[in-house]
Amino acid sequence: MSDRIKTARYPKLEHFAEPNVITTTADFIFSWARSHSVFPFTYGLACCAIEMLTSGFARYDIARYGMEVFRPTPRQCDLMIVAGTVNEKMAPVLKRLYDQMSEPKWVISMGACATSGGPFYDGYNVVNGVDKVVPVDVYIPGCPPRPEALFQGLLELQGKIQQYKFVPGKPAAPEAAELVAPAAATEEV
Amino acid sequence: MGLVVGSNPMSMDAVAALLAERFAGELTDVRVQEPDTIVARVAPQKLAVLAARLKADADAGYETLNWIAGVDRRTSFEVVYHVYSWKTNTYIELHVDLPRARPEVDTVTGVWPAADWHEREAWDMVGIVFTGHPDLRRILLKDDFVGHPLRKDYVDLAENHPHA
Repeated sequence: MSDRIKTARYPKLEHFAEPNVITTTADFIFSWARSHSVFPFTYGLACCAIEMLTSGFARYDIARYGMEVFRPTPRQCDLMIVAGTVNEKMAPVLKRLYDQMSEPKWVISMGACATSGGPFYDGYNVVNGVDKVVPVDVYIPGCPPRPEALFQGLLELQGKIQQYKFVPGKPAAPEAAELVAPAAATEEV
Repeated sequence: MGLVVGSNPMSMDAVAALLAERFAGELTDVRVQEPDTIVARVAPQKLAVLAARLKADADAGYETLNWIAGVDRRTSFEVVYHVYSWKTNTYIELHVDLPRARPEVDTVTGVWPAADWHEREAWDMVGIVFTGHPDLRRILLKDDFVGHPLRKDYVDLAENHPHA
């Protein structure tokens, strides 16, 4: 686990002035709440969806990260887990559903197909990576990735969410700049 | 003889002989290929009539259409119908040869309604035209896709990749 995740997950709780009183920053408390109540959008397109669903069941239990509320509608979600091959017929639908999600929103590209087309790269009807359609925050390698890999991706995303600044006027942390999605992908939105 | 599902009251050779004799005008090259599959060739203009008779046959009624496949044989096209008979617990594969310049065959949706989507897929992927089909349009690829990708001479086109 990277240092970034560690520091993001266990930030400073300044001091205890009295019993049950915690002093911390507004940035921390908002980003802590936001990163632990992510509503994933069920976007299973192929076998990666089986691993994604397995993540939700008792053996792996995605609820440990506060993310168990999968929703089948974009209007109640802020994280799109693209799990599977995106084809040219699906791409406009995916873009439309992404647009219907309310801000702030994130995208996880789960598995080789969603990341680059995977084994179907350059197929007659395959989009070579979902980042051609929507901006991606975290890429998870694997074919398909195991639930543990998905969880590491979710922790990376939590680390990213926790670096958002909610109080205006503060300079962004250096790590935040490096974590922004690639410029090429962002422009196509 | 009562029907026992999963059993074949006749031998495969007997079923093949029965079909070859009863449909002598339509089926050619009848042979037993697998332990449970009979393969035969059909002329495209005889297919629709044969399909109806084959389904209605009292002894070996092939009621259940499993799938239809379009095949590119380079010099010609072929359509393969895979049909199951509950009466004899056998399959029949009907092979229909079509000329490459004009791959057209009559629809069998009137006989086996399941043929609807299978024929649309064969049209979508290989470009077989099923005349008389109620709604022959693409089923897997997007509506404005150009070409039929499972043809051997298909060349990937830039306009089929708007998100490349």
